[in-house]
Amino acid sequence: MSETKQVMVKVKRQAGPKEAARWEEFSLKWRPSMNVIICLRDIAENPVTRDGKKTTPISYDSNCLEEICGSCAMLINGRARMACSALVDQLEQPIRIEPMSKFPLVRDLIVDRQFMFESLKRVKAWIPIDGTYHLGEGPRVSPEIQEKGYPLSNCITCGNCLEVCPQVNEHNQFVGAAIISQVRLFNMHPTGAMNKSERLSALMGPGGIQECANAQNCVHVCPKGIPLTESIAEVNRDAWKQALLGWLVG
Amino acid sequence: MRQPKIIVVGGGLAGLMATIRVAEAGIPVDLFSIVPVKRSHSVCAQGGINAAKNQKGEGDTVDKHFDDTIYGGDFLANQPLVKRMCEAAPGIIDLLDRMGVMFNRTPEGLLDYRRFGGTLYHRTAFAGATTGQQLLYALDEQVRRHEFEGKVKKFEGVTFLSAVIDEGGVCRGICAMDLRSSEVKTYAADAVIFATGGNGAIFGRSTNSVVCTGSAQAALFQQGVDYANGEFIQVHPTAIPGEDKLRLMSESARGEGGRVWVPRNPAEKRAPRSIPDAERFYFLEEWYPKYGNLVPRDIATRAIHRIVYQEKLGIDGQPAVYLDVTHIPRETLDRKLEGILEIYEKFLGVDPRVEPMRVFPAMHYTMGGIWVNGEDQASNVPGVYAAGECEYQYHGANRLGANSLVSCIFGGGIAGPAAVKYAKNLEKGAESTASAVFDSEKKRQEEKNQKLISQDGSENPIIIWRELGEVMTEHVTVTRINRNLQMADGKIRALQERYKKINLSDRTKWSNQTLNFARELENMIILARVVTLGALARNESRGAHYKPDFPERDDVNWLTTTRAKWVNNDIQLAYEPVDISLIKPRPRRYDAVK
Amino acid sequence: MSATATQPDSSYLLRKLHSFTGLLPVGAFLAEHFWSNSAALVSAEKYNATSEELQTIPFRLIVEWGGIFLPLLFHGGYGIYIWLRGKSNVSAYPWVGNWLYLAQRYTGIIAFAYIGWHLYTERWLTHGKSTYANVAEDMQNPWYLVFFIVGVLASSFHLGVGTWNFLCKWGLAATVKAQQAAGRFGAFVGVAFSVVGILIILSFRFDWHPFSAYLPTK
Repeated sequence: MSETKQVMVKVKRQAGPKEAARWEEFSLKWRPSMNVIICLRDIAENPVTRDGKKTTPISYDSNCLEEICGSCAMLINGRARMACSALVDQLEQPIRIEPMSKFPLVRDLIVDRQFMFESLKRVKAWIPIDGTYHLGEGPRVSPEIQEKGYPLSNCITCGNCLEVCPQVNEHNQFVGAAIISQVRLFNMHPTGAMNKSERLSALMGPGGIQECANAQNCVHVCPKGIPLTESIAEVNRDAWKQALLGWLVG
Repeated sequence: MRQPKIIVVGGGLAGLMATIRVAEAGIPVDLFSIVPVKRSHSVCAQGGINAAKNQKGEGDTVDKHFDDTIYGGDFLANQPLVKRMCEAAPGIIDLLDRMGVMFNRTPEGLLDYRRFGGTLYHRTAFAGATTGQQLLYALDEQVRRHEFEGKVKKFEGVTFLSAVIDEGGVCRGICAMDLRSSEVKTYAADAVIFATGGNGAIFGRSTNSVVCTGSAQAALFQQGVDYANGEFIQVHPTAIPGEDKLRLMSESARGEGGRVWVPRNPAEKRAPRSIPDAERFYFLEEWYPKYGNLVPRDIATRAIHRIVYQEKLGIDGQPAVYLDVTHIPRETLDRKLEGILEIYEKFLGVDPRVEPMRVFPAMHYTMGGIWVNGEDQASNVPGVYAAGECEYQYHGANRLGANSLVSCIFGGGIAGPAAVKYAKNLEKGAESTASAVFDSEKKRQEEKNQKLISQDGSENPIIIWRELGEVMTEHVTVTRINRNLQMADGKIRALQERYKKINLSDRTKWSNQTLNFARELENMIILARVVTLGALARNESRGAHYKPDFPERDDVNWLTTTRAKWVNNDIQLAYEPVDISLIKPRPRRYDAVK
Repeated sequence: MSATATQPDSSYLLRKLHSFTGLLPVGAFLAEHFWSNSAALVSAEKYNATSEELQTIPFRLIVEWGGIFLPLLFHGGYGIYIWLRGKSNVSAYPWVGNWLYLAQRYTGIIAFAYIGWHLYTERWLTHGKSTYANVAEDMQNPWYLVFFIVGVLASSFHLGVGTWNFLCKWGLAATVKAQQAAGRFGAFVGVAFSVVGILIILSFRFDWHPFSAYLPTK
């Protein structure tokens, strides 16, 4: 092609939580290995829509740009994914970019994912160490446990698994796959296991693991490839055992 | 007795460690971070964390770790605190291990260690190739626990604008802006610990995250907090070029046996795999037989530049060399390096297990930073502490791989208790500071915002930023020539003038990212000048600072710490001697036996 | 902090009960029901005898209410509540599991309606004394016939997917491989029930008794 190739982008804009949403279209100059973040940066540099109207830069979250900080999750062509690893050449155009729908909107593509961090508190997703002073080495951990735990601890709290879960919505405060998987991680660790029952109890509360209905969308969209459905199954097993045994033998 | 109050700015490894230590001391702490702390730039650290545990029976010792660090840093670091860090490192690993970090393990269930640059020992503990992420999460979890127990209050999405400094020159708190509402507020504290990370953004593209602008350091600098060794910028030898970011390809790839090479024939047209070994130039192994691919980063980076720009041997004539891990068994790669190999695969669509990676050096880390004393991370302004990449203390003229994580945690671990001690000993705390001190700082910052929002101009902040990055990358990274540095400073000053005429394309108050970026840009320009002027003045070559016109290290004139000061609204450079009380400087020759 | 467990939330217990009742007793009853009705594949007399046998079990009302009607009512009713709390999104995420999630809800409501009607016609209107002739007569009505087929297929599908869900959600099939195997098992259950169910319907509709050869020759 002799003339410069263009990239068509449609962005859902919303000035604030209570403002009306609208779509804006942009036509950007194509470059090799362009991703959605680069598109948003192009727009910020020259915030003019396709039909020549001046607009404001698009507000969006991003940080590491290598899919490890979890910031830039959004809907791209209707699917929840990380914007930094969404390569333009692999996307159908016009590229539709929208904010995630399951979290409160802040502005444009920014949503508030505080719910996830609160959930991590609720399930006590930590190892309760006595203190940071010298207490010697940690417990021995077999390579087998490490190889199971490490992928789980890769969770970047992006929220994609909540976004695609049919059980997460305005009627339902389901904590989602990421949090359940964290419970599995901490319950797997030799020290973390000491508080296993506490975490399981938290997951048997309102919005807990019972809300999972096995649609298994989560595992498809996890950018870190975490075996979320496996985590849910394992935690489920531990949970009902605890509930049943707690009831039977106190 | 009055209850002291501490603020921590920055939620990466150093900030979180400081927070934990303060909370453990039973002192309330407010933690400020631009992003949710779990998304801090520490997540990007890949390869590992150093500690001389001698777990491979090679005879590694704390002293050797100390010596490697000082030697690797070309004798510019003040030695006593570095020694303390190396002594503390094994304990830090134990602590992280107790916090549940999923470090790779040996069959016996002990931590596994890998080799890293600038050492001959297996000294680097690691969790796959995402060690920084794993460490950050461990500390994040501990802070969340303290938050749950009411000891820590987080202010995520609130950006630091300036310190509140009273007439006596004592820091009494901070002034910060909520990134959603754009509301400016002051927060009182008896001591403030800064852990605001690196400054990659002044180079435009780097391996750093978006938030690593150095803005906080620069703001403090303009309030009288000295900035040391700014000219020492680490350029990492192996990164994947990209338009939005230069994505790091960890040293651990070489630590696990990865090899760097180019075809011997510059006109080579064959696919890399079909080029026979004899026709490959493993230049690091040839030039540095002892350390091979694991020479320190400044050395490897300059070698790659030499290959590309002088020997004209870059792949296809492009600025790129091969980083080859294809000879390593796939199972090992997946177990130890999966995280980084996935990055390459995702962003370039090529499987590095099959095809050698194409990499090139990229700005990665600043050895320089806020000046702190050699004792307890205190800056020259009472009440201001600093830890992590934003301060200058541990790495001299060049940081060794896998030493940054340990320095962040060690520094944060010192800064926390030091700030507590200082706050407790204060005769009068922030509560007795006149409210006018806070009000005037708040007013000053609000006026800045108002001016930016309302002014009409012709300049676009993003374009100024891009030009700044281009100037800095071209002239103030790997090879530094005085003439070019002077020109660069001229250009930066011109950008500073243009900045006065910027026009914000967004003038709303809600979640206006342009406003915040414009504010950061003003600070970045100042910091860029600090780096450039420091480089211009230092007429020698030391560690990452390389001047072909002054190719030797000059211990007679330049065994000094650069200490930039803000005097009469301008940058002034002062120098102070380096504490070399423990190891006598010797020539740094990785091509010869040490 | 104490590590003692607090009591699980009622929503947890109800959800688990919902999942459990789907298999036991509802699923088990369905298996028993298909088994008994398979008698029609042998002969009308065999069917009537089996039917009579069941109609005269001791404690019949208690067994029927406690073992069938109430669990079914709960499973269906709570299932509707669960449905209302979910929000399907197959158009955006058209993966198999997500389709099954949606289908499980529709087949559930169809099965629930069908079973209600089926109970009404075959249990209440006949006062629990349904005979081969009653059913065969109903089957001559094309609308009834269609409803029977749809109902049987929906119930079978729902049980098949439910079996898979059960194995996953109780952690009996945890690993990816085990869940795949559980999926195949669920599919087998669904197909097996569908086939047997349809054969029984055909038997009534066409007075067709493929296993009549089992009978002693008179």
